Amino acid sequence: MAKKETLRRIKRKPKEVMLNRSIAGNAGLLFFISLMGVIMFLPMLFTIMNAFKPLDEMFYFPPRFFVRNPTMDNFFDLGVLLSTSWVPFSRYVLNTLIITGFGVVGHVLISSMAAYPISKHDFPGQKVLLRMVVLSLMFAGAVTAIPNYIIISALGMNNTYLAVIVPAFSYSLGFYLMKNFIDQLPDSLLESARMDGAKELRVYWSIVMPNVKPAWLTLTILQFQVLWGTTGGQFLRSEQLKPLNYALGQIVAGNIARQGAGSAVGLIMMSVPVTFFIVSQSKILQTMATSGMKE
Amino acid sequence: MMAKKRFVMTIRTRERLQGMLFVLPWFCGFMLFFVRNMYETLIFSLNKITPHLGHYDSDFVAFENYIYAFRGHAQFLQVLYNSMSNLLIDVPMIIFFALFMALILNRKFKGRGVIRALFFLPVIIATDGVTLMLNMANAVMAGGIQNLPSEFMSTTEGMNVMGLMRMLSNYGIPANVLGYVADVTGRIYTIMRASGVQIVIFIAALQSVSPAMYEVAHIEGATPYETFWKITLPMISPLIITNVVYTIVDNYTVSPVVELAKNTGTSGSYDFGLSAAMSMSSAVCVGLILFAVVWLLSRFTFYQNA
Repeated sequence: MAKKETLRRIKRKPKEVMLNRSIAGNAGLLFFISLMGVIMFLPMLFTIMNAFKPLDEMFYFPPRFFVRNPTMDNFFDLGVLLSTSWVPFSRYVLNTLIITGFGVVGHVLISSMAAYPISKHDFPGQKVLLRMVVLSLMFAGAVTAIPNYIIISALGMNNTYLAVIVPAFSYSLGFYLMKNFIDQLPDSLLESARMDGAKELRVYWSIVMPNVKPAWLTLTILQFQVLWGTTGGQFLRSEQLKPLNYALGQIVAGNIARQGAGSAVGLIMMSVPVTFFIVSQSKILQTMATSGMKE
Repeated sequence: MMAKKRFVMTIRTRERLQGMLFVLPWFCGFMLFFVRNMYETLIFSLNKITPHLGHYDSDFVAFENYIYAFRGHAQFLQVLYNSMSNLLIDVPMIIFFALFMALILNRKFKGRGVIRALFFLPVIIATDGVTLMLNMANAVMAGGIQNLPSEFMSTTEGMNVMGLMRMLSNYGIPANVLGYVADVTGRIYTIMRASGVQIVIFIAALQSVSPAMYEVAHIEGATPYETFWKITLPMISPLIITNVVYTIVDNYTVSPVVELAKNTGTSGSYDFGLSAAMSMSSAVCVGLILFAVVWLLSRFTFYQNA
């Protein structure tokens, strides 16, 4: 009898453990996130709508948010404008590709390569270096423009791609981020790799980098955003070297007469980083740094 | 026969040397483009700079620029104070908001890439081409003739709530409704705008926490609440410091005091010495705040390897 009672008690399904928030909580979160999302999405939606509006709708008063008769006219206008430009449009695209491509890849590689030993070995003067990195973050580009110009000129990089790409390599924010993410990796993971005979380069490339993938993907996004938005500033003066953002900015600067083409420009300039962001964000997956490790 | 004496390195030394080799490219660039700039700025701040065509003259004036900035300049002290106090108010709010958003966005749901992108949008919009386009469209909507001042967007600050409100009011939404909404959302919107990068960093941090830990917590019967406080928060706490540093820096570099320093050097009197002195002293101010905050936070931070 007693045994039967025990058995029944064992067999009874244990009370479901609550793992998720309540339905009300979930609904609340959903509401909150959609509200935020909608506010965030407004300018984007506005850009999309405007890009497909025919001219008469664009100047319609009172203005309408949603497009009534979507057309591709604005994009054709933009095409016509670009085909008459002195430097072929493809050149601007190429310039941006060169600057963004080399800048992003170089920045991620160089700063993570530097961050790994600083984080995991001990060096003399490490603390001072880190303080300096943080301090250097606080010198905004606008304020150091003049010393920066002097050094770029002295290095003979003025009016070349290098003037934009090379400083991007050692931008201190990336280093700082990577260092802090690599700090999180357990030392024993690297230790075991070394015991198995991995050299430093191997440890860096096969152990550290895959395990901080979320970090360097984030860095890629940040740097892409910076370089995609560059106009070359005071360094790229030849028209053949100017990036896409500059060229398209010039079209928009044509003011109201260029309203149609300008809207198309806005959509193009916006959608590339958004796409890049979505693609790289969906690549961010949980890493397995500490699984199977006993300490 | 004596064997030739070979130079032998210990493994430790070799690793260290290899490590130095890794750091070298970044270090050179850092020295050249950042440390040298800081040093130059310091030197400029101690001199009276007179620009000429193709070169500049500098006379050593010691701390005269600093004394003028703090004692003589009409705005500097006020602007500095305002920038610093805004920083102290905004930064904690941005961090809490970003952490909260990251926790929500970190969950697995369909289209999370797209939703995450939405919160990164303000950062993307700060691109010149997009900003100019939105400005222009706004000008057109307001009647097309008068050009609106660039209130809607400024390249350094991204989106501005007043601009958005103006856009909505152009669509005919009553002003008093808008005013109320603006009051409520003004602050929130500023914070949302400034937290795009922080959310992304937090998501990366959350993704770096080993799933095994959550599994253990689950098996041991921890509630989600306990899991958050005992696992999520300690594991990402070093990245909270990182994010705080980023936020302070980000907030400071677009603050009015930097703008003032920049304008002093690049327009009007072209007093670059004074401009350098302003940026030096404000950077030192923020630096002090930053190191104090980091020191305070690091006492509550969990380091896995320590």
